[in-house]
Amino acid sequence: MYPLRLYVFKTIEWLLLLAVALLFVFPFLWMALTAFKTLPEVFRFPPTFLPESWQIQNFAVAWKSGPFLTYLVNSLFVALSILVLQLFTAVPAAYAFARYKFKGRNVLFGLTLIALMIPPQVIFLPIYVFMSEWNLVNTLWSLILPYGASAFGIFLLRQAFMQVPDEVIEAARLDNASEWKIMWKVMVPMAKPVLVTFGLFSFIYHWNDYFWPLIMTNNEQVRTLPIGVAMMKSSEGDTLWHVIMAGNMILVVPILIIFFFAQRHIINAFVYQSK
Amino acid sequence: MKRWASVFLMLLLSVSLLVAGCSQSASKTGGAAEGEKSAGAGDGKPVEIDFWYALGGKNGKKIEEMVQKFNETHKDIVVKPAYQGDYYQNHAKVLSAITAGNQPDVTMVEAGVVGTFANAKALEDLGPYAKEMETKYIPGLMGNSYWKDKLYAVPFNRSTPLLYVNKDKLKEAGLDPAGPKTWDELIEYSRKLTKKEGDKTKTYGFSTPIDIWFYEALVFQNGGSILSEDGKQLAINNEAGKAPIKLWTSMVKEGIMKNPPGEKYNAWDVAKQDFLNGQVAMIFTSTGDLQALESNAKFDVGTAFLPAGKTYGAPTGGANLVVLAKSSDAKKKAAWEFIQWMTDTPQTIDWSLASGYMPATTEAVESKQMQDVYKERPNLKVAVDQLEYAKARPMVPGYKELQEVIMAELQRAMLGQATPDEAIAAVEKKAEKILKK
Amino acid sequence: MQNEAVAKPEIEMLESAHAQAWPQQKPAWGRWETIRPYAYVTPALLFFALFFFYPIGYVMYLSFHDWSLLNLEAKEWVGFANFTELFQEQDFYQVVINTGLFTVLTVALGIGLAFLLALWLNRKAKIYGIIQGTIFSPHIISLVSVSMLWMWMMDPQYGLLNAVLEALGLPAYTWLSDTKSALLSLVLVSVWKVVGYNTIVFIAGLQSIPRDIYEAAELDRSSRIKTLYKITVPMLSPTIFFLLVINTISSFQVFDTIAIMTQGGPVSSTNMLVYYIYEQGMDFFNGGIASAASVILLGLVGLLTLVHFAFMSRRVHYR
Repeated sequence: MYPLRLYVFKTIEWLLLLAVALLFVFPFLWMALTAFKTLPEVFRFPPTFLPESWQIQNFAVAWKSGPFLTYLVNSLFVALSILVLQLFTAVPAAYAFARYKFKGRNVLFGLTLIALMIPPQVIFLPIYVFMSEWNLVNTLWSLILPYGASAFGIFLLRQAFMQVPDEVIEAARLDNASEWKIMWKVMVPMAKPVLVTFGLFSFIYHWNDYFWPLIMTNNEQVRTLPIGVAMMKSSEGDTLWHVIMAGNMILVVPILIIFFFAQRHIINAFVYQSK
Repeated sequence: MKRWASVFLMLLLSVSLLVAGCSQSASKTGGAAEGEKSAGAGDGKPVEIDFWYALGGKNGKKIEEMVQKFNETHKDIVVKPAYQGDYYQNHAKVLSAITAGNQPDVTMVEAGVVGTFANAKALEDLGPYAKEMETKYIPGLMGNSYWKDKLYAVPFNRSTPLLYVNKDKLKEAGLDPAGPKTWDELIEYSRKLTKKEGDKTKTYGFSTPIDIWFYEALVFQNGGSILSEDGKQLAINNEAGKAPIKLWTSMVKEGIMKNPPGEKYNAWDVAKQDFLNGQVAMIFTSTGDLQALESNAKFDVGTAFLPAGKTYGAPTGGANLVVLAKSSDAKKKAAWEFIQWMTDTPQTIDWSLASGYMPATTEAVESKQMQDVYKERPNLKVAVDQLEYAKARPMVPGYKELQEVIMAELQRAMLGQATPDEAIAAVEKKAEKILKK
Repeated sequence: MQNEAVAKPEIEMLESAHAQAWPQQKPAWGRWETIRPYAYVTPALLFFALFFFYPIGYVMYLSFHDWSLLNLEAKEWVGFANFTELFQEQDFYQVVINTGLFTVLTVALGIGLAFLLALWLNRKAKIYGIIQGTIFSPHIISLVSVSMLWMWMMDPQYGLLNAVLEALGLPAYTWLSDTKSALLSLVLVSVWKVVGYNTIVFIAGLQSIPRDIYEAAELDRSSRIKTLYKITVPMLSPTIFFLLVINTISSFQVFDTIAIMTQGGPVSSTNMLVYYIYEQGMDFFNGGIASAASVILLGLVGLLTLVHFAFMSRRVHYR
């Protein structure tokens, strides 16, 4: 191969890489840039690239356009409660599926796998109906309970528990540790990377969720951030794109920050299912 | 990394548990745990009522402000307002909340669907509370308040559609800044106002959201109506029903009218935005947009009656306030007090001035304060004057669904996928089933 | 990511070894020992039963009734009437066609592009890792923000996309405002969101193909193209199949983008199954129709799941 040809080839590839990266970064950048513009500047065509003057107060306007602190707290509370609940249901189940042989195990695990595949969107209507019969609609419970067990979490942890060498457990048993203790004190620490992976997956999924809170909530005390942000597009008056984009930044930036620091884990978390 | 992540998670969890613990207990009152005791009945505690509204932006802020004022002046009642999105979203929310038993006590309901809700027994008969005092409201606004001869709603943010014109542009084009008076003039004005640069249109003469409300107006203007007298039959399969579609499609084809893109209220936003930016010279929109348009426009805004077909004509619109049947007696009483206050003369004047919606009571319109303002701001008066030609919106249980069918077919015709005849025929096919409900 | 990829058969061996080793030792705790596994799986299964299997049964039950959210107590047995009504409904066919079209386009483009990207980006150098992370990032962003962002960029008048088109001397596009382009615009958004995920999955798949196969091919002097479809594609077939199923199921359930960007319009051109169910059930008082549509959707997803499991169990003996 000629060095010159290689050089040209490399340059072209770098340009292509840059183009691909732009395709995925630029929309986010555009969101950020719009969030700093004034309304007249937003409605200019062709648009300006950098804001003429940086309107930091757009973020304050967005934040004050609704009870965003409540939304934020609700989002955190719901996502984290779900995570904790899912861990407490998934660890014993995964442990049982991984380490015991019992009648009906295959059937029960099969049921779990079915739950893994079918999305809640398909059955929201009946859940809404009986949630309302239990007077749970419009409480944070209605956002948390339906996700109390994660089939994905069970699946993931089961794989991890199966990989723990027998000797470790044998040793623990010789120490007269109870099964319960072995599960939490021996197995769980050994599955820590998987737990982090699963935790990130679960948190991000529920932080982002729009559908479920849309169905289940109807006042701002129990609404979550995605609903609050989606409601910023008001029906009367102008569409204030600059403020809306500022509001969206509140929703997006935390996730991007987490992604920046824990990219490997997150990619792992989302791709794991494929293995 | 791992440790960092788990410490961070635990920290987040404990903080949010703490804070949410507080907000959760607060949310209970507005949420499901209602109706156990009829709250506040005589035990000295104020009665709490939930009020859902469907106006965002400046008008929404004004509503919150009025509620706050009510709460300050009524120590025995606490009204908790909650914004639910636009009319459509609010209706869906109210409907599903009724099932869940956590419905609000008072809500805004768009005029045309009061019948739907009343027929489903979702609303409280207000007759016993009103004791004939409802005569204080402008009679022209009461058409969507009764269902089967019972009073279910009182007018709150009531409107009619208006023609808004950019007076500067009209003057520039040598046209009467008062705006076109008839359909023919509308076409003629639009032609003169449309400006092209090469093959790009810089300014359109006219634009309107293809919304059921404006369609109703144009049908009324040709002496037609949407439904038969008894509400059981569709009545638009005739010239009066087709003429509006023909007018709009021909104007769009000629390039003098812009069909604003977007679904439902998104299209309204586009039309208003275009008007403000000078890309459209005349639009149809609600009188409720007057304040926002006047304060944001950099030109002279004028309002006028919708141009006449055979006659002038317009539906009334906007929303009424209703009390929900499922609430406890104490809450209903408080709710009645609240909606009465919200629509009483001083408040309705305040509201009208802040938004552009019409005052709800006759006394308000005739008051010196309003009359003085009308002299100063004739734009505000046009809607009230147009009431003379206004009709109520159709009111049958199925209309909520039927209006969406009509709108979809109108849009199809506008996009050139159906002739007016085909569009009307398609509506008719579906209407029969819907109207049976 | 790679170190966790213990080959499946190994897991299986491990597992059966435990399974046999354990029940043998039956210590004094006796009965509890047999109950224990059930006790451990019960909490999780209770949640599944309550929020998953019961609702599935309940929605089927509801689909044979005429009911609305307003008069749930007064529901009436109507047999298959909801289904016959649904199949006579022109709109429903439109909805099914839209869903099908959307799914086919999203899945084909999402997987096709991802495959090309994966072949290209599956390298060691740091820059490729960075690009992988970049194209993956939309996948973890809320659909609310993605939808609003694209809605803004697709604004026919002030949007970035039309500005770019204009700058390139091309005519403005209608995006969400026309029946012909709205569905395609939604496909574009979905592909943008999912292609990074698919790419990463493909790369993981590529990396699990044993190197020596390629080395053998090199010795045979196979052409690159030939290597690609004689070795790479067949070896990736489980990955491709997995992505097909996952992408199809998630396309079936599209809701957020529709609710925020188009509300099913213009003229129902973007109305799809879940949104239709939402509209019928929560907005139009037609609970029966909505639950019948839910059952049909459930059937479709269930069928896919079965096919998926059948395939999986043929490939690796799952349990």
